[in-house]
Amino acid sequence: MRTVKLTVNGKPVTREVADNRLLVEFLREDLKLTGTKESCGVGVCGACTVLLDGKPISSCLALAVHADGGKLITIEGVAEGDRLHPLQEAFLAHGGYQCGICTPGQILAAKALLEANPRPTKAEIQHWMMGNLCRCTGYYKIIESIAAAAGAE
Amino acid sequence: MATASPTRKVVGQPVKRVDGIAKVTGRAVYAGDVEVPGMIFGRCLRSPHPSARIVSIDVRRARALSGVQAVLTGADVPDARYGRMCKDIPILAKDVARFVGDKVAAVAADSVAIAETALELIDVAYEELPAVFSAEHAIRQGAPVVHREPVEVFPNAAVGIHGELRMYPPIPNVISQLIVKHGDVAGALAGAHKVFAHSFAVPSVHQGYIEPHTCLVAVGADGLIDLWIANKGPHIARAHMAATIGVPESRIRFNPVTIGGDFGGKGSLMDALLCYYLALASRRPVKMVMNSFEELTAANPRHAASITLRSGLDRDAKLVGIDARVMFNAGAYAGFVPVPTLHGYSELGGAYRVPNCAIEVLRVYTNTVPCGHMRSPGSPQISFAVESHIDMMAHEIGLDPVELRRRNAIAEGDLTPLGARRRHLRCRETIDAGARAFGWDKPRAPDIGRGISIYEHPPGAFGKSTVALTMGANGRVTVTLGSPDTGTGFHTIAGQLVAEHLGLSFAEVEVEQGDTLSTDFEAGASGMRLTTTAGQAIAAAAEKMKQALAALAAERLNCAPADVRMEEGGSFAASGTRIDLRGLMSWAAARGKAPLSCKGENTPNRPNDLTSFAAHFAEVAVDRETGQVRLRRLLTAHDIGTIVNPLTHQGQIEGGLIQALGQAMSERVVLKNGAVITAHLGDYKLPTTMDIPELETVLLPGDSGSGPFATTAIGEMSNVALPAAITNAVFDAVGVRLSELPISAEQVLAGLGTKARAA
Repeated sequence: MRTVKLTVNGKPVTREVADNRLLVEFLREDLKLTGTKESCGVGVCGACTVLLDGKPISSCLALAVHADGGKLITIEGVAEGDRLHPLQEAFLAHGGYQCGICTPGQILAAKALLEANPRPTKAEIQHWMMGNLCRCTGYYKIIESIAAAAGAE
Repeated sequence: MATASPTRKVVGQPVKRVDGIAKVTGRAVYAGDVEVPGMIFGRCLRSPHPSARIVSIDVRRARALSGVQAVLTGADVPDARYGRMCKDIPILAKDVARFVGDKVAAVAADSVAIAETALELIDVAYEELPAVFSAEHAIRQGAPVVHREPVEVFPNAAVGIHGELRMYPPIPNVISQLIVKHGDVAGALAGAHKVFAHSFAVPSVHQGYIEPHTCLVAVGADGLIDLWIANKGPHIARAHMAATIGVPESRIRFNPVTIGGDFGGKGSLMDALLCYYLALASRRPVKMVMNSFEELTAANPRHAASITLRSGLDRDAKLVGIDARVMFNAGAYAGFVPVPTLHGYSELGGAYRVPNCAIEVLRVYTNTVPCGHMRSPGSPQISFAVESHIDMMAHEIGLDPVELRRRNAIAEGDLTPLGARRRHLRCRETIDAGARAFGWDKPRAPDIGRGISIYEHPPGAFGKSTVALTMGANGRVTVTLGSPDTGTGFHTIAGQLVAEHLGLSFAEVEVEQGDTLSTDFEAGASGMRLTTTAGQAIAAAAEKMKQALAALAAERLNCAPADVRMEEGGSFAASGTRIDLRGLMSWAAARGKAPLSCKGENTPNRPNDLTSFAAHFAEVAVDRETGQVRLRRLLTAHDIGTIVNPLTHQGQIEGGLIQALGQAMSERVVLKNGAVITAHLGDYKLPTTMDIPELETVLLPGDSGSGPFATTAIGEMSNVALPAAITNAVFDAVGVRLSELPISAEQVLAGLGTKARAA
């Protein structure tokens, strides 16, 4: 067991965790932040994407202790209170989701993109988002949503 | 009462979905997100052998592990077997394991980690038995028999099947044999100008939903069994559960949860029965989540199929007959499928006018992963064969593939090859509109090819739907549905339909899913039925609500209900007096007459003859040095009815197409000695953002749909026929015919080599 200190969605968190506790388990089970989803468990599908110090990571591959001292953003921390992030508004307006299970990961990956590159081209969006699988939408509306959010910001 | 609104206000609008904010903020609750007090975790031990006798199982070390609350083997659970049509799935394997992944023991423990450690402490002694993996081998005399004991079949097996159906005929391992004959195919082929025979193979693919199968079962002190489960048809699933475990339906409650993708794969109980027995044994609520490895190796993917077609053309290149034989490899259990054979058989003559048709469809057990339903079950496999076959005929007689399709496509009032009537069909118009927009006739550069494929299918008019409406004192309406929204947007569509019927704004309608105790029977999502079949239940409920409102208004305005007019904006008028909806409802509430509640139901009693039609066009570039196929662009053209929500409608088209693209270009459940070896999403290749080509959609709206406001179906119209358009384009580019999916560079390169040697 170790003590980890970090901020999660801007709030300080101090917890005892097992050395081998996965970050996704820490978020979902210990902190009850179930917006982060786990699917493939091997870092391929992107459903568990969270932002650690602004960078997208697969929380199914990271240990909770990796986040020690870091700033973690999950889907629960993307909106400011009831004010949705422009990406969230764009996913709603452009139909960038269907079943929604991959959506938290999509939005966090896209958030990292727009922070690194506020005006991405369509090709840049496609390239950046290739690590986030979606089986429902065929991706067109996800790409449209991100492009629209980039235009809106 | 007359309705005075000539134009639609809500139907046709791209309203934001009712589940949208929950989904983009992470607040939507899926089965895996539910936690109940005292909950523990179930895991199961699976057979490493494709066919084996279970000699003994020693669970003593597992039981002794700290944190283990229950351990079960086949001996600890009832002998009952589960199935949606054929009851052949044991809760745990009893004497034999039938595929690599068959469940042989299970543990419930305080954590997933403890449960998995306990599984490693279970000792199973197996005696390996001969196994059979291909359907072709399985039907031979003397082949290993996958199920030795008789399988009980639901008595209504033949309902909706229009041929001669034999369940478990005396052919080894055959689950069902369907023979349909229409006209005289032997005579037609004997008299044909030219006869063509081709064979095709389509492998199994996985539904690819991102949310794995998940269930949570809690048995209350009062005996009520609560479930939270990723299942697309809770009422049907509950009926099957009740029948299997011998508990009345009234003691089982399926609670509503968000579904993380279905695509046909989430119609079964999967682990829920085992989870129930673990909950009983441990006296604790138990959650089971299949991990990604289990999903890909031991869930219920699409059936692999081998298809042989023999067709004849007359001198005018008109089809005179089709003789077809299909074999579906069902894997080790038939019970994941709610029908005797996959309904895709009805596509065996394609969307063509074929006066004579004979088909034989076998569904066959093997010692491989059991197969289930996936988006338009059976159709993608058969469509690939038919649409390749038609293309091959066109090339062999030197006719443009578009022209051969135009010449043979069914038209208004025609019968399908199996003899079903179709009306209001615009196949030729849709093909022409697509070909024009695609630039079919424009010159092609070298090694660039274009291909076409077509598909028709009616919306699902089957199964019972029930919908409840409640109007409160504030005039707002709550729609209570018994079906989950599997991701398609159905809950939003339901809200839009209610708003339109009642003249309300979309914001005045609340949509909720009820549990199986608080809602009446609803067959759920399947076969493109919800907008059409549940949509008509909504129409019936709304009509009752209008009548109830008219009666209230008549009472308030002192006139006869027939004299009340419902005006735009939801007010009621009669001979010079008027009251708005809110005023009427608060008046009613003050007199104890609100909220107003009513139910509508719909059980379609005949097949739907109003159909949907799609034509897909693909353009590829083929690299002759490597055999690599690059998809340059797609065009999809659809004959449609009224669109309820353009956002979700287009979402269905795009999502379906890219699923089909996966089947065409990259997806394959690969088996080795019967075991699935594409066992994680690194090996099993779902399409990514980098795989999608430029896409154009052409829509031909019409007003002849059989759903409310003349809607028709879209959900399965784009995921079926696309692969053949792509392989047909490969042939057009470099003359290599691919008769197996998915397309691989190796296959194309080998084809180019064969051609070069022949030249």
